[in-house]
Amino acid sequence: MIVLRAEDVWKRYDDTIVLRGVSLNLKKGETKVIMGPSGAGKTTFLKCLNLLVKPDKGRIWIDGEEITSPKADITRLRQKIGFVFQELNLFHHLTAIGNVMIGLTKVKGMSKSDALKKAKETLKRVHIEEELWRKYPAQLSGGQKQRVAIARALAMDPIVMLYDEPTSALDPGLSSEVLLVIKELSERGITSLIVTHEMGFAYEVADEIVVMNRGRIIGGGSPEELRNAKNDEVRNLLNKWNGLKDGVLV
Amino acid sequence: MEFWSEYLSSLLMGFLTTSELVAISAPLGIILGIALGASRVYGGIILGSFARGFSALFRGFPLIVTLFLVFFGLPEIGIYLPPVTSAILSFSLCSGAYISEYVRGAIMSIDQGQSLAAKAIGMTKLQEVLYIILPQAIRRAIYGISNEIVYMIQYSSLAFAIGVQEMYSVARTYNSLYFKSLEIFSLLAVIYLVLTALTTLFFKGLIRKLEIPSKAE
Repeated sequence: MIVLRAEDVWKRYDDTIVLRGVSLNLKKGETKVIMGPSGAGKTTFLKCLNLLVKPDKGRIWIDGEEITSPKADITRLRQKIGFVFQELNLFHHLTAIGNVMIGLTKVKGMSKSDALKKAKETLKRVHIEEELWRKYPAQLSGGQKQRVAIARALAMDPIVMLYDEPTSALDPGLSSEVLLVIKELSERGITSLIVTHEMGFAYEVADEIVVMNRGRIIGGGSPEELRNAKNDEVRNLLNKWNGLKDGVLV
Repeated sequence: MEFWSEYLSSLLMGFLTTSELVAISAPLGIILGIALGASRVYGGIILGSFARGFSALFRGFPLIVTLFLVFFGLPEIGIYLPPVTSAILSFSLCSGAYISEYVRGAIMSIDQGQSLAAKAIGMTKLQEVLYIILPQAIRRAIYGISNEIVYMIQYSSLAFAIGVQEMYSVARTYNSLYFKSLEIFSLLAVIYLVLTALTTLFFKGLIRKLEIPSKAE
């Protein structure tokens, strides 16, 4: 069953065409990774999927409902999509638990006690220890902040999680704790679309990897298929990331 | 002795009137300022233009002109307001215009990521502004707001011009009767100083209470 479908998505900023007809399907329970060089349009595409960036052309469906339709109830449909930003956008004035609760109480209309219970459960799922629940974002490490951000998105019970380079703003040492959480969630069947530069992680977690370059999808397949990619452009890009010229992917 | 007893009891009444003016005008001005500041950023063409025009207007001429317009001008179109109400309305409009500038600046300083994150969890624009942007913006604007309220205590003395019997008005009357300017205005100055100091202390406490912890404990 397809839970997220994008068809022929285009986006232009002034004279620069950032997306050139990107199409993608995401099945329930699937983990798909988007890779590509900087400027490939990965983040813009991800933000188009919940209309944080409005595409110039193209259609997008969430759980069978078209979010790009003029009649779409965008705020309701956005609740079906969990979004994790690379910039660690936690709400600065709220504690870790407050960040998770605010969507539950104000958007979903849950009572404070129910929201608190759910927030605690979700923070536990992403391995945020109890002594950190009442800390403010400025008192947390980068990895802790990003895990709280994942909990905030996850608590809303989305049908799909979108991760926009979730470790790019973190020190290498802190990336692993975030990647571990994403991997665990993915293994538990949470449908995920992940933009990342972490190649090893992508090969480990992805059911399918999609490669983007200059606003287009230039190839894709299972990690195994990608290791043996025949497409020159894809192979060259992957080799470049691996620091190889004509070598074999490891 | 008789002078002091009379003066002190009249000054007490004036003090209560000054306190009433500030205690009512300050929250009204703050609420108006927040509403105008938010409208200037999020109000679109109509509401935004109204808020911009309002702010430019009431910052554009002296408060005494506003007082005269409200107290002497409005009756010409059939609106009669008592002196205290006129003063409260004028002070609220004026402080609201200035506070809107602080609030607008504070809203603009909140990073775009906060707004995107609010949208991403399904918040409407109103929820985003009420629960995410304003709580952060007000914390930043509060320094300017406190300054404006301290300033309001000083300019509340202008209410004498429309016949409000506040502290300065009482002092002025006693000075014209007894010509003891040094005693009369020194005491008045001390009372204003105490009021200003208490207000500053109140806002310092509020700022401390609202402060977002910024480093590891």
